[in-house]
Amino acid sequence: MKAKLPWIFLALGTLLLVGGSYMGLFVAPAERYMGDVQRIMYVHVPTAWNWMLAVLFAFGCAIAFLFTNNLKWDSRMEAGIEVGVLLGFLLCCQGAIWAKPTWGVWWDWDPRLTSVAVLLVASLGILALRGFVDEPPRRAVWSAVATIIASVDLPIVYFSVKWWNSLHQPQSTPETVASAFHVPLRVNAFGVLFLMIGFIMLRTRVAALRLKREVDVPQMHQEAGELA
Amino acid sequence: MSGVVQGGWEFVIAAYTITALGFLIYGASLVMRLRELKEDD
Amino acid sequence: MLAALRKELLLQWRSRGQMMAVFVFGATSLLLFSFGIGPDASALRTYSAGFLWLGLLLSSTLTLAESFHAEMENRALEGLLLLPSDARALYYGKAIANWLQLALLGIALVPVMVILYDAGTTKVLQLIGIILLGTAGLSAPGTLYAGMTAQIKAKQMLLPLLLFPLIVPALLASVKATSLVILGDPMGQSKAWITLLAAFDLIYWSLCGLLFGRVVEE
Repeated sequence: MKAKLPWIFLALGTLLLVGGSYMGLFVAPAERYMGDVQRIMYVHVPTAWNWMLAVLFAFGCAIAFLFTNNLKWDSRMEAGIEVGVLLGFLLCCQGAIWAKPTWGVWWDWDPRLTSVAVLLVASLGILALRGFVDEPPRRAVWSAVATIIASVDLPIVYFSVKWWNSLHQPQSTPETVASAFHVPLRVNAFGVLFLMIGFIMLRTRVAALRLKREVDVPQMHQEAGELA
Repeated sequence: MSGVVQGGWEFVIAAYTITALGFLIYGASLVMRLRELKEDD
Repeated sequence: MLAALRKELLLQWRSRGQMMAVFVFGATSLLLFSFGIGPDASALRTYSAGFLWLGLLLSSTLTLAESFHAEMENRALEGLLLLPSDARALYYGKAIANWLQLALLGIALVPVMVILYDAGTTKVLQLIGIILLGTAGLSAPGTLYAGMTAQIKAKQMLLPLLLFPLIVPALLASVKATSLVILGDPMGQSKAWITLLAAFDLIYWSLCGLLFGRVVEE
């Protein structure tokens, strides 16, 4: 059962995302000012929420590793960072596609977009760092440290629209979004969430298996076995 | 913004397509990596 | 920690020839930036703050990488770190020394900026203050990552790759604050940016000091 869990998440996530997107594209009414382009929000906002969750997850794993020195946290952190890069990249694409017809430009260097770009590039840097260090314990410590420092940017991303007069819209919350739009948004949010959880689980498995190959020691086998 | 932004479905489709492709390709890459690692075990 | 700092400053004083070279590098960068824009005097003035900080950032990759050179040469790193407090003393000693070096460089580049971009100001003290705060924001994470990357072979490539994204917020704040000093600040925004910069400094200086020990342990 445990081995099948990620696949269940992926299946559920896909289902929810397809359902939510269908609702968002064909059932929900067009927005008053933005027209149909606003429908991009039904994927953009869920992607944003889950991207931030992925970054937070990686941060948590980094701290957990530094406190426990248990490499399974390192595998989870690696997964969190990579999935975070995926979501962050998709986020920027969706945002740019939305921005072109509404703001007139693909990109703008306003606080929110800048801080998102910073975190995205920093995450790529951490993955690159991991490629350069061969010994697993040192690789784990260094990338955990780098992850913690990079995560300082997350509050900036979150509060950027509040603190500065940003071009980007303020946070989408149930208060700021009309109820007709709630349902597809929520469904997609859970859809992306489950997909993300499934991806992180599988990616952790990949990292653990690679670790097992690198450090062929009985205790590593045991820990990797727990994960997989 | 005054008035309604007309049309724009191409953008919507582009956004949803990129998202779907992103998830699909990533999922496929995970499956491939897992398969490759399990084989050698 | 004072002993560590004294040692760092002594090392830097001994290699002051290198400091001259870094200054030339920085000044040349500023010159190249002006070529990039061309003879547009008002544009040069508008972007002078950005150029100054970009020049400082690029120069910092040189100085930061050098800062662990001595330890790496003599494999002295392990010997120095018998206690956790040693690591922190080492970190803060180096970070402060790097900071002073960068701040001095920044101040030295101001006349270059004035000449090349016609970007003078009477608010010299405020400018110096911003340079001090901004270079502090560069030095703290920079020293941490310098310590990390000094231990591996791809150091030249990795240090900028890791450092640059992280210092973007601090860099932006520094550029904004400097720009306001040079071009005028009708809406009184300086305080906000300087506060932001100070907040970054506080966070990075404490966080990086805390984490440095793990980065250099065996």
